[in-house]
Amino acid sequence: MPEARELTLGEAVREALAEEMRRDPRVFICGEDVAEAGTVFKVLTGLVDEFGKERVLDTPISEAGFTGIAVGAAMTGLRPVVDIMFGDFVTLTMDQMVNQAAKVHYMSGGKWRVPMVMRATLGATRRSAAQHSQSLHAWFCHVPGLKVVLPSTPFDAKGLLKTAIRDDNPVVFFEDKMMYRLKGPVPVEEYTIPFGVADIKRAGSDITIVATSSMVQVALGAAKLLEEVDISAEVIDPRTVWPLDEKTLIASAKKTSRVIVVDEGYGRYGVTAEIASVIAEGAFYDLEAPVKRIGAMHVPIPFSPPLEDATVPTEKSVFEAAKTLVS
Amino acid sequence: MYFRNSVSVPELPLQFVYMAISVVMPALEMAQETGKIVSWLKKEGEAINKGEPLLEVETDKAVVEVEAAADGVLTGVRSHEGDVVAVGVTIAWIVAPGEQPPAESAAAAPAARKVTAQPPVAATAPPAETAGAAEGGPRISPKARRLAKERGVDIRRIRGTGLDGAITSEDVLAAEAPAPPAAPAPPAAALSAIARLMAERTTQSWTQVPHFYLVRDIDAGALLQVREQRMPAIERDRGVKPTHTDLLISLTARVLKEHA
Repeated sequence: MPEARELTLGEAVREALAEEMRRDPRVFICGEDVAEAGTVFKVLTGLVDEFGKERVLDTPISEAGFTGIAVGAAMTGLRPVVDIMFGDFVTLTMDQMVNQAAKVHYMSGGKWRVPMVMRATLGATRRSAAQHSQSLHAWFCHVPGLKVVLPSTPFDAKGLLKTAIRDDNPVVFFEDKMMYRLKGPVPVEEYTIPFGVADIKRAGSDITIVATSSMVQVALGAAKLLEEVDISAEVIDPRTVWPLDEKTLIASAKKTSRVIVVDEGYGRYGVTAEIASVIAEGAFYDLEAPVKRIGAMHVPIPFSPPLEDATVPTEKSVFEAAKTLVS
Repeated sequence: MYFRNSVSVPELPLQFVYMAISVVMPALEMAQETGKIVSWLKKEGEAINKGEPLLEVETDKAVVEVEAAADGVLTGVRSHEGDVVAVGVTIAWIVAPGEQPPAESAAAAPAARKVTAQPPVAATAPPAETAGAAEGGPRISPKARRLAKERGVDIRRIRGTGLDGAITSEDVLAAEAPAPPAAPAPPAAALSAIARLMAERTTQSWTQVPHFYLVRDIDAGALLQVREQRMPAIERDRGVKPTHTDLLISLTARVLKEHA
């Protein structure tokens, strides 16, 4: 029997990093305030004590610089895990990620590889204003050569991060900064979760809610509200938005005939748009209604708490949308 | 603008130019079509301040004070105590001191809100099957269309119960199945606003107004005979075929004249 215990999502991430660093001496962490400070979110607390400053490397505030260092280190045989404190600043790493990390394997005819992981945060409602609250993961999904992971539970975070570190390709791993304290069961024994395999977080028959990252928790809350009005919602978490488990999404859409896609990134040209399109193409003749997308409002995220709260999907907004679709 | 450059036009104070504000019969309830003026609280020519009670209006439910929408002078009062006026019709003007109310033609512009005000409501209602059929077939979900095709169900006779009145696969399956012993009433959502209103009003009339009937047999042989005889001449001279109703109206008018 596996030992029953609960970890927070932050602890699950730390455990995955620690286990992989013990397992493989080539794995190292670099970024701002990752060593003594353990990052502002305290996710990496204690790692520097076990692995030392050479493997938990504090860098200057220069995202382009340390991401470039990681790309080079990966090309020459190490397995770096880059820490981008606030995902908003992936903007500064884009050339390294898009033109270098994503292209090297292809352009070198497979002679070089970039087995690196970029860990970044997403998510609003932390009262951090417009430059520290965005969810920009969709940008990476647009580029061939990058894999994009969006864990929604401590269990998934640990299993997926271990897979990311062992992957020989660049992987961008987004954690919702508002979920670090979310608790959930995590087995003690070793496990990994393969990429491209969606997880049915809740089975249902009337409507499918496809959700990513913290929106999975929102979707599960909405599903509970829906249950009270006799609507059975299925909640599906793709877990990796690239590679994307199209088969599971389409199968669920065919089963329920109605679909809502929820993601905290901007709705316009966003993850929701791609997933909705995949479902519309794959399940068109089994749909009773257009696939509904719910993303962040298309505005810079306000600092004002009431306004900020109004820009992101909520249990209530997902519940209302689902009720309308099922009507 | 050339005109203004070449001819000297006296500058008018802005407030004078833009002052005249119409006082209209307000819609105080959702389904209100007319309002009765109980009393004017201000007189023709009296100075008024914005927000002051101007008149009292009686609706089906209550007597309500209507406030002045602007400062000025009440003038051009055209509806008086006891008048029943359609919603939206101008009943007076508020003007600047010394200003005349706008000409009659301009004042007549706001049409009375009668039953004709309802089509916009109907337009936003879920499209009824006939409405949808007029524009390339009824609204139907992709799944329902596929099912209907597979099972040979005629979608034109199905009433949609889905999103925006779309036909769902459940509607198709229900239409295919033999009619259940007690056919459920069609859902309210499928009715147009006009149809729903008609149903409401008819129900109201049947349940709230005492009904009685007078039945009397009348030999209309003579009437039919007259119609037969005179029809050719009337049709030739006037270009119309008189109906029985036309004849009844004509007879009623004559009788009323005698008893007026």
